[in-house]
Amino acid sequence: MTVRTSSNEPAAGSPLQSRGWVACWATGGLALAGIGVFVDGYDLSMVREALILGLFAMSLDFLWSRTGILSFGHAAFFGLGGYGQAILGVQFHWTAAQALPVALGVTTLVAALFGYFLFYGKVRGTYFTLMTMALTLVCQQLTISWASVTGGDSGLINVPGLVFGRDWLDFSADTPAFFLVLAIVAATAWVLRELSCSRYGLILQALRDHEVRASALGHNANLYLLSAFVASAFVAGLAGALYVCTAGIVAPDLIGPLFSTEVIVWVALGGMGSLLGPILGAFLVHYAQQHVSSWNPSAWPLFLGCGFLVLVFALPNGIFSLWQRLKAGGAAVAASGRRREGASHE
Amino acid sequence: MTLISVLMLVAVGLAITFGLMGIINLAHGEFVTLGAFALYLSQGWQLPFAAGCLLAAGVGSMVGVILQVAVVRHLDDKPTSMVLATWGVSLVLQQGLELLFGRGGKPVASPLQGTCSLLGVDYPAYRLMLIAVACSTLAGLFGLMRRSRFGLDIRAVIQNRAMAEAMGIDTRRTFNIAFAAGAGLAAFAGALVAPLGTVIAQMGVNYLANSFFVVIVGGVGSIAGVVAGSGFIGGLVSALSSQMPPSLAQALVLICAVVLVRFRPQGLVRA
Repeated sequence: MTVRTSSNEPAAGSPLQSRGWVACWATGGLALAGIGVFVDGYDLSMVREALILGLFAMSLDFLWSRTGILSFGHAAFFGLGGYGQAILGVQFHWTAAQALPVALGVTTLVAALFGYFLFYGKVRGTYFTLMTMALTLVCQQLTISWASVTGGDSGLINVPGLVFGRDWLDFSADTPAFFLVLAIVAATAWVLRELSCSRYGLILQALRDHEVRASALGHNANLYLLSAFVASAFVAGLAGALYVCTAGIVAPDLIGPLFSTEVIVWVALGGMGSLLGPILGAFLVHYAQQHVSSWNPSAWPLFLGCGFLVLVFALPNGIFSLWQRLKAGGAAVAASGRRREGASHE
Repeated sequence: MTLISVLMLVAVGLAITFGLMGIINLAHGEFVTLGAFALYLSQGWQLPFAAGCLLAAGVGSMVGVILQVAVVRHLDDKPTSMVLATWGVSLVLQQGLELLFGRGGKPVASPLQGTCSLLGVDYPAYRLMLIAVACSTLAGLFGLMRRSRFGLDIRAVIQNRAMAEAMGIDTRRTFNIAFAAGAGLAAFAGALVAPLGTVIAQMGVNYLANSFFVVIVGGVGSIAGVVAGSGFIGGLVSALSSQMPPSLAQALVLICAVVLVRFRPQGLVRA
């Protein structure tokens, strides 16, 4: 099977290589920078929070769209990064700069061990999804019950902000924190796009489309999948650490299965494989969640559950597919959607 | 022992449907919850315990059929969509039950009080009954799989779906019945386990996770695999839980399952 290039499938095949992607990246970045200049206080912190969640969504999108492997427990890595940062900061009084490398190191190590045993055990597809879900369940139970360290159900508060030693590296105030987050998100999006378009990304795509054939060409499937998984977990952990540092609190919600599945909704809604779409998805869903939760806190999972069914049955390619469908007529897009589904789950 | 026998009942449906169609149903844990709630309701109506358990199994398989017709049937060639859709259903069921019945735990009375002395150790009588019921149900199922025409169909579809279809087996029908039966068994297990703790809307999640471990460790699509997996996982959880906090025990079980998968990718028992 030849690797599909953008000429074969202009819209859906590889949005990352198109000029439109760079344009979206640049205008999105500039618009957000504009928000950072003109907005402050609570509204700005809301945007910052959504951006960090977008970074998290991007990490899942990279893994899911490049390797075809869906992680149902990505919040475990988000939460490990966040809890690492919070525990070191609150219980051991480390600064954010000291805690960050350790928190990310632990996250990466857990992902590497977990991924090693599963990928090298030839666990793939739905099996892998299940094991990641078990991981996030267990992580949440551990954080809730290990109350002396993690703060239990109520979590930890007063996590040190983003201060990196010097005065000009103090990002703890609202506006500097926002720009730091924006810079990290933009840079990560660029790096992940370069990775996806590089030889490495193409090999991942070949493994996704047909692992046996790609392995027969001499590519070490286990190693490639493991590395993509670890890279994705690293970004998720980074998002978690940033979230906890800027919000100042951490709670068991951030490591549990519900959060793990919310991020899947963001990615699926924003459109898988575009890296930027999931950020938009995170913005939209997070905004909706704030409204629903302020109305009735226990109604949110109900909405989320219905959201999954709508996504699967009505919007298999995200909200952008609505626009495409209007443009191209329903049948053609639906057909290409089925084809893509089939290819990525083969 | 109690946990092992309950796990066997819950996991067998998951293992069979996974073996039949390669489909994982994330709403499977909710059948356990439904069964427990059905028993709670039946006790409110003064029904005897056995009738409550049968009612639970009936409710479970009915919801299973509805789920199968409304959702699962349309997605059986798309495993990822299936995982997402059944997870959505599971959230809706969980939250719907919580809205209907309220947040707190529901007490369920046990039909048997007192203890039995077994080899010099006192054991609660109800637990003994539970183990006996679970084992005999599973033995009956095993006989059905080995001896009946339908069991033969199921085993054929698990071994090779395309070939079974070519030999004239209606794989879709086989799957429908197996799915409903698996749901009913999980609900039955939920009703059996309800008197041992409180009934809450989130109780299914833990059984779901442990049933995954059972299926993954034990191997897909065979009752022997389910028994071996349940023995391993359930035994490990019970043994560790007496030594340390339950969540730490659960974490260690996860680690054991992950490591075991590395060395026995096919599961303990090959289908």
